[in-house]
Amino acid sequence: MARVHVCSVADLPPGEGRRVDTTPAIALFNVDGEFYAVADMCTHATASISEGYLEDDCSVECPIHTARFCLKTGAALCLPATEPLQTFAVSVEDGEVYVEVAQGEGA
Amino acid sequence: MDDRLNVRTMVDAKKGKIKPAIYTDPDIYQLELERVFARSWLFLAHESMIPKAGDFFTTYMGEDPIVVVRQKDGSIEAFLNQCRHRGMRLCHADGGNTKAFTCAYHGWAYGLDGGLTSVPLEEQAYRNKLDKSRWGLTRVPRVSTYKGLVFGNWDNEAPDLETYMGDIAWYLDGFLDRRDGGTEVLGGVHKWVIECNWKFAAEQFCSDQYHAPYTHASAIQVLQASPANKGDGKPLGDGQTPRPVWADALGGVQFGGNGHGSAFFFTEKPDANVWVDGVVSAYFRDTYAEAEARLGKVRALRLAGHNTMFPTLSWLNGTQTLRVWHPRGPNQIEVWAFCICDRDAPVEVKDALIKSHARAFGPAGFLEQDDSENWVEVQKVLQGHMARKTDFCVQMGLGFEERRDDGIPGVTNYTFAETAARGFYQHWADMMSAESWEEINALSAAYQKELVHE
Repeated sequence: MARVHVCSVADLPPGEGRRVDTTPAIALFNVDGEFYAVADMCTHATASISEGYLEDDCSVECPIHTARFCLKTGAALCLPATEPLQTFAVSVEDGEVYVEVAQGEGA
Repeated sequence: MDDRLNVRTMVDAKKGKIKPAIYTDPDIYQLELERVFARSWLFLAHESMIPKAGDFFTTYMGEDPIVVVRQKDGSIEAFLNQCRHRGMRLCHADGGNTKAFTCAYHGWAYGLDGGLTSVPLEEQAYRNKLDKSRWGLTRVPRVSTYKGLVFGNWDNEAPDLETYMGDIAWYLDGFLDRRDGGTEVLGGVHKWVIECNWKFAAEQFCSDQYHAPYTHASAIQVLQASPANKGDGKPLGDGQTPRPVWADALGGVQFGGNGHGSAFFFTEKPDANVWVDGVVSAYFRDTYAEAEARLGKVRALRLAGHNTMFPTLSWLNGTQTLRVWHPRGPNQIEVWAFCICDRDAPVEVKDALIKSHARAFGPAGFLEQDDSENWVEVQKVLQGHMARKTDFCVQMGLGFEERRDDGIPGVTNYTFAETAARGFYQHWADMMSAESWEEINALSAAYQKELVHE
């Protein structure tokens, strides 16, 4: 596994998301101070999950076709998506946010 | 020249006669969509309605649905609001903020720039053979902004917006440019349907001061200052101008040119009309000095009167209504009314203006209802065979057109005149029969020269 630095905690306030240009790209969200990372490409069709809408139940709605995914498990919560998003481990050290990606992937 | 429906025989501006089939004929209406609405600069939105990237507003150009979108770089684009796959209405919201436009039918999705970005089952169904770069939204090729108002034009050959506006820009400045900071739209958009041809509404705001003292007599009676009418609040009329502006006017002027028109009275003081709320009237008095410094005396004093920018954008100074008469077939219009206010006006003025605007010219407004009634009844009368064959008289002030030497621009006449109406219909007939903008411009110039014997 490789650890990829994304940004400072202060750069991603609660309620916001950002795209991480790894291969494949990752969508990182701050949900009330907890960070979650999932695959950025929707499993249904071409759409960037990082541009999606955060919901109250720690899920994200795809901005294009409104499929919803659990940020904790990646599970597809409603149609038109049926396949889950891959999830990635996130760590915070000294106010800096990192995501764990498989070897061979990275920024 | 291609006058395939013989409209030039129906409009005789030189003799002041009109054949009313122009208001009812379905073939004429279809040609209007093509030759007037797809070639003219049409109002789309006020910039203040879409300040941030991703903000959008849906409207119409003629009968074509349009979505106006603020881009990431701050510029404004407009697109036909129609999915390129099977023609479905793309965006169903009146306005809002978005990251993408997704069609509700099969799910084709487009970015803010109109590019096709996502096609469901692209790999399995289209076998990755769809060239998405060729199926972006149909873009309105000409979008231009004038002092906060955003306009669009389908015609690449049309003159630029300011050339198209000509002298009406001088009159519009008096509405949009009174104070530093410009204007904004207050509240939402009032939208309603009236069963009449679009030209009745557009022409009245272009040229018809004549109806006001009679058509609106009862509304003015009710809305004028009435200190006895206290109720629980302030007496209706506190601070209002006591009498209609025409009652104390020192003459006035009407302008007509390139199909546009405007008219107003000269007043001694900056008087908004009698139906404008007292708080708003007082605001105009308080800010007069700034307006005079920016616009000069004539336009700063002007807080009443009517205007149309051809074909379908109209506004009333002081009353602060700006509206579009969207055509819906020969017998119907959809009115979209916007309340326009100086951005820097105090909040209590804005609150009073919203109410005052709706009270007089909202869908149930006292004066609005007077006007609608007239237009609807004329349209009903024109269901008759003989009625449709009977000429209308448009001869008021015929032959008394002049150019002024006091800085008020364009071909003018006395306030009570039909100079702007004759110009409106002449321009309409020119657009309906001319094959190019070059031809339209030549016809317009020739007509106006002859009017003032140049």
